[in-house]
Amino acid sequence: MSKPSAAIGGAHPLFYPLLLVACAIVLLPVFWMLSTALKDETELFRDPLLLWPEKPTLAAFRSVFEDYPFAAYIRNSLVVVVCATAISLTFSTLAGYGLSRFRFGGRGAFLAFLLLSQMFPSVMLIIPYFKILKSAGLLDSRLGLIVTYVSFTIPFCTWMMYGYFRSIPVELDEAAAIDGCGSVRTFFTVILPLALPGMVATAVYAFITGWNEYLFALILTNSEEQKTLPVGIGQLIGQYRIEWNELMAASIYSTIPLMVFFLFLQRYLISSLTAGAVKS
Amino acid sequence: MSDASPPLPPPARKRSPAAAARSRTGFAFVSPAMLVMALLVVYPLAYGIYISLFRTNLLNRWDFVGLTFFVQSLSDPGFLRSLFITALYAILVVGGHLIVGVALAVVLATQIRMRLLFRAILILPWLFPEVVVALIFRWIFDPIFGLLNHLLRSVGLISTQVAWLDDPTWAFVAVVGAAIWKGYPLVMLLALAGLQSIPRDRYEAAALDGAGRFGQFRYVSLPGLAPILGVAVILEFVWWFKHFTIVWLMTKGGPVDATNVVSIDIYRTAFQSFDFGRASAMAVIVLFICIAFAIAYRRMVPDEQA
Amino acid sequence: MKLSILSTVLLGLGLTVAGHAADEPVTLTVLSSTIVEGPEGKAEQGYADAFMEQHPNVTIEFIGVPANELYAKTNALAISGEMPDVFLNSPEFMAQADDLGIVADMQEVLGADYFDGFAKGPLAQSVVDGEYQFAPWFTIPNTLLYRRDVFEQAGVEPPTDWSEFRKVARELTVDTDGDGQTDRWGFALVGTNNGSGAGRFFLVLRAHGAEELAADGDAWTTGFGTPEAQAAFQLYADVVADGSVPPGPLQTGYGEAVSLIASDKAAMMITGPHTIGAVLDQNPDMAGKLAGALLPTVEGVEPDINLGMFGWAIAADSDQKELAAEYVRFVLERDNQVAWNLATGRLPTRLDALQDPQIARPELAGFIEAAEYGYQVPTARFYPDLFSVAGDNYQAVIIGRKSAAEAAEDAAAQTGRLIDNNR
Repeated sequence: MSKPSAAIGGAHPLFYPLLLVACAIVLLPVFWMLSTALKDETELFRDPLLLWPEKPTLAAFRSVFEDYPFAAYIRNSLVVVVCATAISLTFSTLAGYGLSRFRFGGRGAFLAFLLLSQMFPSVMLIIPYFKILKSAGLLDSRLGLIVTYVSFTIPFCTWMMYGYFRSIPVELDEAAAIDGCGSVRTFFTVILPLALPGMVATAVYAFITGWNEYLFALILTNSEEQKTLPVGIGQLIGQYRIEWNELMAASIYSTIPLMVFFLFLQRYLISSLTAGAVKS
Repeated sequence: MSDASPPLPPPARKRSPAAAARSRTGFAFVSPAMLVMALLVVYPLAYGIYISLFRTNLLNRWDFVGLTFFVQSLSDPGFLRSLFITALYAILVVGGHLIVGVALAVVLATQIRMRLLFRAILILPWLFPEVVVALIFRWIFDPIFGLLNHLLRSVGLISTQVAWLDDPTWAFVAVVGAAIWKGYPLVMLLALAGLQSIPRDRYEAAALDGAGRFGQFRYVSLPGLAPILGVAVILEFVWWFKHFTIVWLMTKGGPVDATNVVSIDIYRTAFQSFDFGRASAMAVIVLFICIAFAIAYRRMVPDEQA
Repeated sequence: MKLSILSTVLLGLGLTVAGHAADEPVTLTVLSSTIVEGPEGKAEQGYADAFMEQHPNVTIEFIGVPANELYAKTNALAISGEMPDVFLNSPEFMAQADDLGIVADMQEVLGADYFDGFAKGPLAQSVVDGEYQFAPWFTIPNTLLYRRDVFEQAGVEPPTDWSEFRKVARELTVDTDGDGQTDRWGFALVGTNNGSGAGRFFLVLRAHGAEELAADGDAWTTGFGTPEAQAAFQLYADVVADGSVPPGPLQTGYGEAVSLIASDKAAMMITGPHTIGAVLDQNPDMAGKLAGALLPTVEGVEPDINLGMFGWAIAADSDQKELAAEYVRFVLERDNQVAWNLATGRLPTRLDALQDPQIARPELAGFIEAAEYGYQVPTARFYPDLFSVAGDNYQAVIIGRKSAAEAAEDAAAQTGRLIDNNR
């Protein structure tokens, strides 16, 4: 399927070497991660280095699940992050639209506060969050983490959606109003479809932020059944030893859902962009 | 048009029912997000600021000390130095993201063959948890078992094993590098989205005016990207100013204090010395710095007003 | 007659009720860092499983945290009132724990007699204000770990003073395969800026005759400003400058140093007996090659050995103190202590276990001897802050940022400020 409208121009020959260099810089650590994950314990610390294991083994991939409750970690991360992303996306899309189209008391303050809230070092927010979740009985629970992650991502997601809605001409709203649509109907039938690429980007951001979050998940969860994936990986960094092969295997596991999620949305992103271009 | 109508009192604050209804609608759209933020952002912030006025372990000791910790921190050369290091770190990392991200976005927005494959690969760093990125880079920089020394030695660039992370300058370079590697895809994606929303006719117009590829970039792409990148720069700077994980896991702020970003300072004060009041004061100072930056940035690079 | 029938019936009812209470499902929460480690975790889970078998209505839930986050986690739990029933305490943390008010009256809960069954050395270190803060579980006396085979081959004995130490370290830094590259260094210096690195530095400091912190009546003083302390900093600088230390000492944390020993890249290390197990895990060929020796000292100074002790404390607000005490006593039973030692190399603290012949293995002999020189970690609430005071300064000395004299002076000044701030 040809998508000429998505590309800006022709490719300069210099672009290819540039891209190849960039890809090499990206893939080198990834390759090393894979190589380490496939190594046996005795092959990890060799001098001279083994670029690729002599006897590649999936032992680390297995022991990650056998020795640790990794299935639980993955399940928790999935549940928490998917829910938090969905809620955050909904709230921030609504808010972004409201901010871009309407004037109301407190609008300026709210906008300013969206930025302000990003500026407090997260390290210090842990204690207040701890106290809040404790009073609500949400400590050591997925719901508690969902609430926490929603609060993290809403400010920036709202900013993203606000910016995106501002790029959608108000004339469309006015045209819909002339056609007799109320605000809500305008939003859902006219504006929202156009906002989909922005929503996709926002969703991806929210998902990745939640998926990778470490510090709060560590402090706000106690039991193995509630811990998320990054916390599980962090536990492989024992003070007494770093199990590099298991660590890398776990990291690879943690990246796969993100890749799947992104690949899935990537196609959607393109098709909606194409549709948008054709429409205009 | 207004001549014929009688002079009306200035309707300063009074709004027509329609405007009031619109205002209510707007409020309705915004209220879920507002509610979440009031509960989960305002309260923690307020609590954090409250704590900074006490010498406390949050359990059984609450001694009011007022602004003591603020004064002490601002006159502590160690803290000031960490602020400087953090600012330098944030500037270099965000700058790196911008350069790499925009450059790659421009390339990927053209009709490159296998564009999707390249894009998929170039997104990868973003998909790894910071925990993992920090550790894989630390492993790569390891003096004896690290990939970097191995590669450099095989091509003969170095002869002995270099302890990169032991050297103050190189350790700083390493954490900046790891952060750039990890974070550029976000800027790249934002730039890509921005580029793809620039109407094509502007490029055609510029081409007709005789602008070459670089000219088109400078006069069409960059201005078109400005709104989205403008927001990104502020947020990126603030994020990386507050950054903790990658530096902590790679160098713990060392060697000595060469990479001692302010979050590490705060973390140590709170969770190793259990001096929560002092740590909160340091965090509030960081808050004001970020606010000041945001205001200053907005003054210098005004965004299009809605 | 009626009365006795009535009382029997009541008694019977009472027993039945009590019996029911004993059968109610009960959860015991345990905060531990060893539970997430390699061989340690399996063993510890084993004890929990065995205990649960014996008490079918009890479920033991572990809260596992990596060791370097243990104190932060305990603090967070304390602040929010979510303390587990049982948690890992240590001489380094116990003053803080006591200050937080989270430790139950251990003597009352476990019984005064029970404490008589502990070895004197460890027990003495578990006291704050005359009260026991935890039931000691294991010690890992930190002394000199060395490659016995490498020493024998080179014809050297473990050094007894620091100039010998430097000499030996230099001699054992060799190029084993003749490719022009050093393959094995004399000493794996743990130079990270944290508890692992600073703890070891304190041992070197004390072996030179200075103390990082000492009680002076009601107050604290520091020995960082003395010429002896300066000599300790100088030693760190010298041994690195000699080239006897693998490159990258500032990044060599405990785990890295273990890997260096395991991969035959270092011949000596300051550490405890648990490292032997960790090394063997990585390289089984090292079996029988490692041994412990007393730390070198300066003439006239006796070594101070950090026992590296951890023990079980019962939370002050726990509802299950009795059950918690039972669990603690179970883990400290002789057979379990011996099994723990066999699996992990950590030394028991109970007298009955210490007398078991399996404990006195040749490779552990040096460590057991070193344990006799255990010293009391200063019970200052701010003690953990000294880690970064030491760390900042020995790191600066190693990379040549400061001279030993400057480092000693700065460390003294910083410690002085800590003492003042915490009066």
